[in-house]
Amino acid sequence: MTRLGVEIGGLSLKNPVLTASGCFGYGLEYDDFYDVAELGGICTKGLSLHPRAGNPPERICETPAGMLNAIGLANVGVEAFCRDKLPILRERGVTVVANIFASSIADFVAITERLNRETGVAAVELNVSCPNVSEGGIEFGKDARMCGEVTRAVRSVTKLPVWVKMSPEAGNIVAVARACEEAGADAITAINTIRGMSIDVEQNKLRLANRTGGFSGPALRPIALRIVWEIAGAVSIPVIAIGGVSTTRDALEFLLAGATAVQVGTANFADPSAAKRVVDGLRAHCETRNVTVKSLIGSAR
Amino acid sequence: MSTRVLAKRRLVTLALLRRESIGGLYHVLTFEDPDGSAAQPGQFTMVRGAEWGDAPLLPRPMSYLTAGHAPSILIKVIGEGTLRMGRAEPGEPFTLLGPLGEPWRAPTPGRRVVLVAGGVGVAPLVFLARAIVEAGGPKPIAIYGGRSARDLPLDDDLAELTELHTTTEDGSRGARGRVTDILGDLLGPDREVFTCGPDRMMAKVAELCALRDVPCEVSLETPMACGYGVCLGCPVPTHDGAYLYACTQGPCVDARRVDWSRGDHAPKKGAHLPRSQT
Repeated sequence: MTRLGVEIGGLSLKNPVLTASGCFGYGLEYDDFYDVAELGGICTKGLSLHPRAGNPPERICETPAGMLNAIGLANVGVEAFCRDKLPILRERGVTVVANIFASSIADFVAITERLNRETGVAAVELNVSCPNVSEGGIEFGKDARMCGEVTRAVRSVTKLPVWVKMSPEAGNIVAVARACEEAGADAITAINTIRGMSIDVEQNKLRLANRTGGFSGPALRPIALRIVWEIAGAVSIPVIAIGGVSTTRDALEFLLAGATAVQVGTANFADPSAAKRVVDGLRAHCETRNVTVKSLIGSAR
Repeated sequence: MSTRVLAKRRLVTLALLRRESIGGLYHVLTFEDPDGSAAQPGQFTMVRGAEWGDAPLLPRPMSYLTAGHAPSILIKVIGEGTLRMGRAEPGEPFTLLGPLGEPWRAPTPGRRVVLVAGGVGVAPLVFLARAIVEAGGPKPIAIYGGRSARDLPLDDDLAELTELHTTTEDGSRGARGRVTDILGDLLGPDREVFTCGPDRMMAKVAELCALRDVPCEVSLETPMACGYGVCLGCPVPTHDGAYLYACTQGPCVDARRVDWSRGDHAPKKGAHLPRSQT
């Protein structure tokens, strides 16, 4: 066993650092910066059954120590992903988690079945928590029964590990996580963004065309940590933490709280090599203390 | 047109060499780059103070004013990030991710270049003018406009490099009015336009050029978080009902591709991410 390796369901990751969906493209945008295969894995931009153009501008704005986005799941669609992106990622040995989005259970199943036909997909991550689309998305994620149904439907058609990405806006997020576990999820990813707003007071105008956008970045971290702590105490499947991780210290905070892995999101924007820095930092941390990442998981509980 | 080879993108931490306050809210920041930046006119860089911590969070997209061992940018102080840049002292470290985006296309041999600039949009046009002059090309014509004389940063650079016409809305410098009031007289079949400035100005410039069948290249300005094609925060509406992304498919594009009428892209002023220009 390596010092940094972790297991999520049946999936072994070389280290516990992944990149978050929507903050890393399809992993092919980083050639000038580093070898993405060095990461524990990447979560793709959310894939839908058909391509989506996304929301009109303005789609993003900055807030104190964070940002709002209302991209609207612009993506190439699962078919183009399988045809144009996945073969290159597979060739390079990148651990690919396909983040998928749909507004119906039937479409979640259809996307999963399309991915089943490919090699090189390590897991599917169900986005049942996007705050920026009118159908599906967060409405699935708020409801334990619906989340369970989506998870069960996908579980029944694939051998791939199934991760479910939680919305912090679920009234009882622990209940949602438990429902997903009972429905056969292999891991819980927490958390997606939380809806926020910003108004330009000079122009007397909302700063996002979509009115609201998903709030992410370092300012989100304490909320994410609290939720990860709660979920990790309530389910027996691994929790993958996401929410404002930009440094090694941030990643450690989530691991100590009980997360098995972390995802680096917004931090990639300011520094394309942010996730690689976290991997290197964790390695140095573990070597200095002669510990494994596995031994750190939940150690602050 | 020859195929251009664009330099590899790098994220580097560079010390500020100097900050020149050039009046009003404008500053020129010059960095010390031992390896040299191979940025071409029209390309941009994502700039952030290396010691900013968690806020301001995102880097700011800025057009290169110059490249090489002393790459520089023009900033206008409009928000938290540019405020800090406008106070930065020599030696202060900044991260620069670049060069990014599509540069200006090469001027067409046989056509006289007309540059149309508004406010901080002047930066990539000064870079282009210098490249044209240094390559021995015909001296470009430039039209540069602002609200008043104080809103014409780097007008002396343009005066040196181009045949310069200025306009101000209050008449404090050059002709009273807007750049588009005098552009019509300077367009002709042997001309081509490169423009950067507020959306509303560029939309009008594009319209005038289209009417006269004069080629027009614009440098788009939008908020963006990453600058390299992953955040998808910088869509610009196109005529096919889709979007182009200003960071990787721009910022420099043929004006005919942009649907200036759609979305809220055209007739509005933005105070979004603090930024200078892309």
